[in-house]
Amino acid sequence: MTTNDTLIKVENLVKSFEKIEVLKGIDTEIKKGEVVVIIGASGSGKSTFLRCLNRLEESTDGHIYFKDNDITDPKANINIHRQKMGMVFQQFNLFPHMTVLKNMIIAPMKLLKMSRQDAEAKAMALLEKVGLADRADAYPSQLSGGQKQRVAIVRALCMDPEVMLFDEPTSALDPEMVGEVLGVIKDLAASGMTMAIVTHEMGFAREVADRIIFIDEGVIAEEGTPEEIFGNPKCPRLKDFLSKVL
Amino acid sequence: MHFRTDVIKIFDWLKQVWTFITTQWNAFTHEIDFVFIQGDRYKQMLTGILNTLKITAGALVIGVLIGIVVAAIRSSYDKSGAKHGFGFAILKILNAICKVYLTVIRGTPVVVQLMISYFLIFVSARDGVPVAIFAFGINSGAYVAEIFRGGIMAVDNGQFEAGRSLGFNYLQTMIHIVIPQMFKAVLPTLCNEFIALLKETSVAGYVGVMDLTKAGNSIAGRTYSYFLPLLTVAAIYLVVVMILTWLVGILERRLRKSDH
Repeated sequence: MTTNDTLIKVENLVKSFEKIEVLKGIDTEIKKGEVVVIIGASGSGKSTFLRCLNRLEESTDGHIYFKDNDITDPKANINIHRQKMGMVFQQFNLFPHMTVLKNMIIAPMKLLKMSRQDAEAKAMALLEKVGLADRADAYPSQLSGGQKQRVAIVRALCMDPEVMLFDEPTSALDPEMVGEVLGVIKDLAASGMTMAIVTHEMGFAREVADRIIFIDEGVIAEEGTPEEIFGNPKCPRLKDFLSKVL
Repeated sequence: MHFRTDVIKIFDWLKQVWTFITTQWNAFTHEIDFVFIQGDRYKQMLTGILNTLKITAGALVIGVLIGIVVAAIRSSYDKSGAKHGFGFAILKILNAICKVYLTVIRGTPVVVQLMISYFLIFVSARDGVPVAIFAFGINSGAYVAEIFRGGIMAVDNGQFEAGRSLGFNYLQTMIHIVIPQMFKAVLPTLCNEFIALLKETSVAGYVGVMDLTKAGNSIAGRTYSYFLPLLTVAAIYLVVVMILTWLVGILERRLRKSDH
């Protein structure tokens, strides 16, 4: 099976939408504390792959193990596992009818049965870290894009996840706000959080990644350290891709 | 000299106007006395108002409950990712039942539904009010369900995904995240439906319920005076609708707090 420090193991993951096969058999592992960055052209299946990891997309075939539990098993309680898999979306998806603080405490209070006091204390500490403590009572519509995404990140952190999944976290941001969000993600990486990040920010990928996965036409075409991927790409599709984005 | 005759003319004219007003007023109060006070006919009016409000409020509660359940089933069916398995089979059957319900209820007049309820389903019912609450509730449920379904579809799917990704199950995501946002979106349309419901209950007289319209009509029939009873009935409906609109307006403003 899996070794002890493997957090997520993916075996022959296949995902089809109707007749189109988006993922054609992906095998990989994410170890505890590892930062994996997934790159690829649009339509290559990299977001679909990430969304399969917490079953926001149901896989068509294959297995995904989270802490040795097969979460693709229909009998698995995916809700329990999702509590430990934080997710950050391109479009932030903050709850617009709740204040920033309420956004952050609702899941810990309802799901972990945390007291309001404890949940608020925890949320405020996290907001402090990302420099948004003074916005706790604001509604999402009153925040800038960068602020929204920082709140979305700490909202996920309130559940004490063991892994964080980032689905193009900076793609919907104005250029001047990209830095503040990437800064938060970098800090998180430095703190030892396990992460899988889909991004188009190549400089950031190079800086933060322990390993980079290049997905092309639904398969992992190449993977390796940032040095290997950016310094010495082997697969022609990767060379072509990098020549376009760098 | 001219000035004096003018003053007298104006004075005379004012006197005539005053006499006209007082006679009309006396006639009016006499009419009120005759139509509403004599024979305690105002009590009939009060019963009518009370029954109309009872039927509307009862039907509203039933309608909203049915609406939430039907809308939840219909939108779960539309949203469902896995199109196979035992759960999906049940959902498919429930969805089909909901569709039949919507088609039949929205395809037939509410008066006919009311009469079927009273004369065919609850044959032994003596009091028509509960039957009317049932019939109007079932009827309103169909319209409210589609309003709610539209509202659920209008909430961005990302909201649903964000809820699920935090670990909320389907129902918790609906209750804490989707439905509160849906309510805000559908409130004006829902208010419309409530107003329509209130006025539709005016056909309750078909099954012998003494509702507001029936009360007015019966007083008019007994006194051969149509003017006052019918205008009073109209005014009461109008006032109730205005109060309802006002209350919904307050609710809307409170819910709008979050979109500055």
